[in-house]
Amino acid sequence: MMAAVVFFAVAFLAFLGALALVFHRHPMVAGLGMALSTLSIGVLYVLLRVPFLGLFQAIIYAGAVMVIVLYIVMALGREETGPRVGSVQTGLTYVAAALLLLQFYWAIVRSGAGPFPEGSALAPVTSGGTSYPFGTIQAFGSLLVSHYSVPFEVASLLLVGAMVGAVILSRRSWS
Amino acid sequence: MTITLGHYLILAVFLFTVGVIGALTRKSAIIVFLSIELMLNAANVVFMAMGRYFGQLDGAVFVLFILAVSAAEAAVGVAIVVAFIRRRGTTDIDAANLMKW
Repeated sequence: MMAAVVFFAVAFLAFLGALALVFHRHPMVAGLGMALSTLSIGVLYVLLRVPFLGLFQAIIYAGAVMVIVLYIVMALGREETGPRVGSVQTGLTYVAAALLLLQFYWAIVRSGAGPFPEGSALAPVTSGGTSYPFGTIQAFGSLLVSHYSVPFEVASLLLVGAMVGAVILSRRSWS
Repeated sequence: MTITLGHYLILAVFLFTVGVIGALTRKSAIIVFLSIELMLNAANVVFMAMGRYFGQLDGAVFVLFILAVSAAEAAVGVAIVVAFIRRRGTTDIDAANLMKW
């Protein structure tokens, strides 16, 4: 019961933040709406029994990414107006969005997605003779450096590439 | 009432649809960029809910990778926006017409 109340409150906040991002005229309010939405999604991760990823979400998204974006918005000032109205592209977008919503709603209701399993259905991760329960950071780390070690290294390469690219792109002169 | 997998999926679909509307109708490059991040977040919710539903932690690992990719995307995207403001003095994506024909 309590979890249901928390879920609906957090889902409402996430949706409200998303609406503020897309439909508010002021870019600062839009950025803060995005921050609200990402923080609420972090709370959803806690409800889904992986609490430390909720913390990662708060630190990386609502911390790092949002600070960068709000910095840009502040440097830019308030030039932006709301969404486009009346063009062909806008009309097509709303039609496509409505179709997308209907299609996924139909698919989800048809699939009969049921309640979440509890207890022994949550598989533990075994590493080095020790078994770690679902959702702990030990289980997560064991999985990351054993089964997913290659993607892990590729992710670090990607981050280095992005850092070099960002430095080169923001140089003042192109000569 | 119990919260089922369907509730999480419906929420993710709503967030994704709002992100699509934002990415296709807004004029500011920053808002378009944030809308794409919102769509990534919706996909993250699906990964987490599915991982919980099947009792496997693999969904959470994928969420971590998506977080890394979107942090890299944010760094490069913000650098592109800064370079664009420097050259054109605006973030209006209609001003990015150099490669249009």
